[in-house]
Amino acid sequence: MRPSINRPPTPEAEEDQEKEPTLQEIINIKLIESGEKERLKELLRERLTECGWRDEMKALCRAFTRKKGRNNVTVDDLVHVITPKGRASVPDSVKAELLQRIRTFLVSAAL
Amino acid sequence: MSAPNDDNASAHSQLSSHFFAGLLDSIIVDVASECHRIARLGLDRNLEEEEEELRLSAQARVTVSDPSNSGEANNKHVVDIFGQTHPAIANEIFECMNCGQSIMAGRFAPHLEKCMGKGRKARLKSTRSSKAVQNRYSQGSPISTYSPYSNSNNMYRIANGTSGPTGEEYADGTLEEK
Repeated sequence: MRPSINRPPTPEAEEDQEKEPTLQEIINIKLIESGEKERLKELLRERLTECGWRDEMKALCRAFTRKKGRNNVTVDDLVHVITPKGRASVPDSVKAELLQRIRTFLVSAAL
Repeated sequence: MSAPNDDNASAHSQLSSHFFAGLLDSIIVDVASECHRIARLGLDRNLEEEEEELRLSAQARVTVSDPSNSGEANNKHVVDIFGQTHPAIANEIFECMNCGQSIMAGRFAPHLEKCMGKGRKARLKSTRSSKAVQNRYSQGSPISTYSPYSNSNNMYRIANGTSGPTGEEYADGTLEEK
């Protein structure tokens, strides 16, 4: 086994360029640290299940799986199958509720 | 800062939408991952079987509606949903409580007709109402003698629907045993 003597030089550890974290990043961190992100996700999941959205997506996946053969599907395939329809078919009320909660959080986080 | 509220509001809206989209995508990935798992592990029993079952159920429907299949009197090969076959005529044997003979269950009703009917000797007598019955239902066979079974069966069957003759059958007090 020929030792690799022609190793390229170790790349310089890029110190985070000290740039200001974006507002988005700050909010994201606050969301996560306060636990609100998890709560929001659970709320959204619950609403989407209640309204049948989840079942629709699963049906799409099953139909795709049946066509492609169950051992040939990848997670990527399924994500691509349901993303467009999934994004489009969220009920307005659900979306409004979640947006409202997020906005409330933003206000309360004094951002 | 100019119109901080407006700026804030639109920035907030944008941010909210951004985060909402992020949450939604995350949930989409979850659903996809779960469906992928179900598909790969074969946990979805109906996946490919659905077409198969549709076909089988259509087939079963045809079989059921086909009159030549089940219900034939002589066909002992009809199988019920538990996989049992039953002979068309029930063949358990027991003792008739009227005459004491050994009777096959499937032949019990006709037997009773004859067994109890024969005992209704009053039927064959010319009493006032039974005469009316006989005149009405007699099919030309002599009344004083035992009518052939088929005729008497007719009489008894029809007579059973009316209350008169039934009462009279025991008025005589004699029930002739066969």
